[in-house]
Amino acid sequence: MVDNLILGFGAALHWSHLLFILLGTVIGLWVGVLPGLGAPVAMAILIPFTFSMDPLSALLLLASVSVAGAYGGSVTSILLNMPGEASAAATAYDGYPMSQQGKAKVAMGLSASASMVAAIIGVLILMFAAEPVAHAALAFGPAESFALAILGLTIVAVASLGSTLKGLAMGCLGLSISFIGLDAILGTTRYAFGSLYLQDGIGFVPVMVGLFAITEIIILITQGGTIAKGGRLEGSLWQGFRDTFRYPVSLLGSTAVGAFIGLIPGVGATAANFLAYSAAQKTSRHPERFGKGAPEGVIAPEASNNSCIPTSLIPALTLGIPGGATAAILLVAVTIHGLRPGQMLFTSNPELIWGFFAGLLVGAVIAAFLYLAMIPWFALVTVVKVELLAPLLLIVSLAGAYANERNIVDVFVAIFFGIFGYFARRHGYPLISLVIGLILGKLAEGAFHQSLMISGHDYAIFVMKPIAAATFAVCLVLVLWPGVKKRIGKGGAEAT
Amino acid sequence: MIVEALRRYWREEFVLAGCLAVLFAAVAILAQGFPRDARLFPTVVGTAGALLSVTAFAIAFRARRRGGPPPDATAEEAAETPRRLGLAVLSPPLFGLVLWIFGFYVASFLAALVMPPLMGYPQRRVLLPFAVVTVVATALLFPVALDVSLPHGLIGDWLIDRFYAEG
Repeated sequence: MVDNLILGFGAALHWSHLLFILLGTVIGLWVGVLPGLGAPVAMAILIPFTFSMDPLSALLLLASVSVAGAYGGSVTSILLNMPGEASAAATAYDGYPMSQQGKAKVAMGLSASASMVAAIIGVLILMFAAEPVAHAALAFGPAESFALAILGLTIVAVASLGSTLKGLAMGCLGLSISFIGLDAILGTTRYAFGSLYLQDGIGFVPVMVGLFAITEIIILITQGGTIAKGGRLEGSLWQGFRDTFRYPVSLLGSTAVGAFIGLIPGVGATAANFLAYSAAQKTSRHPERFGKGAPEGVIAPEASNNSCIPTSLIPALTLGIPGGATAAILLVAVTIHGLRPGQMLFTSNPELIWGFFAGLLVGAVIAAFLYLAMIPWFALVTVVKVELLAPLLLIVSLAGAYANERNIVDVFVAIFFGIFGYFARRHGYPLISLVIGLILGKLAEGAFHQSLMISGHDYAIFVMKPIAAATFAVCLVLVLWPGVKKRIGKGGAEAT
Repeated sequence: MIVEALRRYWREEFVLAGCLAVLFAAVAILAQGFPRDARLFPTVVGTAGALLSVTAFAIAFRARRRGGPPPDATAEEAAETPRRLGLAVLSPPLFGLVLWIFGFYVASFLAALVMPPLMGYPQRRVLLPFAVVTVVATALLFPVALDVSLPHGLIGDWLIDRFYAEG
């Protein structure tokens, strides 16, 4: 193991590889900042350029984009309430209130340090536990995935900010939107009304750009002034950096949530981001501070999405099953360079695989320091007059919505969801629930039908599988706990 | 909250809950035309959503009859004026319409030039350079750096077709 590590660092720290890590990091931070464009888009654009590179340089370039994209996505989440990446959407819930209080630098310091720690832990898990963990992940079949999706929806129901009833309605709306288009498992087209656009389903990017970016632009225009209400910046970057370590439970717990979600194919960093936020809120001693600028509300989502990315590579590299979009693109790069995922990759190419792991670690640290260097400049956005900022953001957001699929209908979809999001938010309908419903809808339905196909339409599969049964039990506890707690409280009060 | 704003709030609340109820009912009803497996989830979710929306409608109705402040009103409400709200809500669709007809660059130029003074930005001399820089930066960022050509609009496409036909 130590020999492999020395071998890996020797390869990763070669100047040419460091240059590609740096280049990938800059590109990742840059595309991460742009709403609608994320690391997968940049990686897809870069793939043709990697054909002529040596395999390690190619993998490091692409992986650095992916790692830095997660850092960059949080910049606009915190400063503008517009996630640059879908996987940084929940970061906005407490990051943006901190910016409004003039604490943008503190929030970004929290984000940078939580991201770095989580990314390093994620890479260490990838390094030391890839093979055994990959085999354990094989136990996660459709029934378990369905149970996990239901757990996510349950968390939405019990932990939604604002009215639970409205949270549930928005969750149902997200699920309903996920039904649109061709169902890959059942082969049925639903709610397309003969439209080719709807047949493909409503894209996640225009919905996110609409719900977060356009909604926020509308709010900015109605309110005027500057994002930082006092018109000036308070607190320092290092305060945020230090504060991260004052919340070790949130930091490590959310890192664990992200690392676990990364192992399960198809769930991804976006779900990890929301689930970690909800879990941190649920387990906090002061849940009432969430949504108003709680440091844990920035630490939890940032730690989870950054630990998710490296662990999503575990099933990709060991089993050939990508855990998410970025892992899928990396898998393409691996196969393009004549390599095959699996045990052989570890034994026949130790310099490549350990160089890649070491490069990921180096990339996580470089990304954190580049991000920290850029923060003072980024933070100035919060003191720019909204009159100039709003048109600029409208242009970039809608360009981002278009750029993903290069379809003008996406622009109108983003505008529609933006206006809807504005009125929904004004009336206390939590947008987070819609997003989770949309993310988990396809996963839940697909996994449900796959499970029934496997079991020959026997519903017992959901309770006979231990992991699925345990997950459903957790769902039940989450639903019943508030009632039980109330009853215990009432009993205690009567006793006294 | 002043009386007119309160009235508008309740009107919006009822319209929102009503629209959601109709939408969910449509999801459930239209699902009946799908094969058995494909209709299961939409039927369950549509029915649940419709019930939740009707409940939200009923709760809002009771709260309004009782009087007092609306339970779920957010802080955004307080700062806005009808003029600013109109500008805020109409800006994105108007931008989309101009983009569709005239293309991204014309829409961006107009947005950067027209939106700030409509929002009350006083320094008009800054606007032309601001609009030009915005369009040039967008053109450099998307088509050049990211290799994403932005839409030229119906008129732009027509002009390009004519140019090639004549060329």
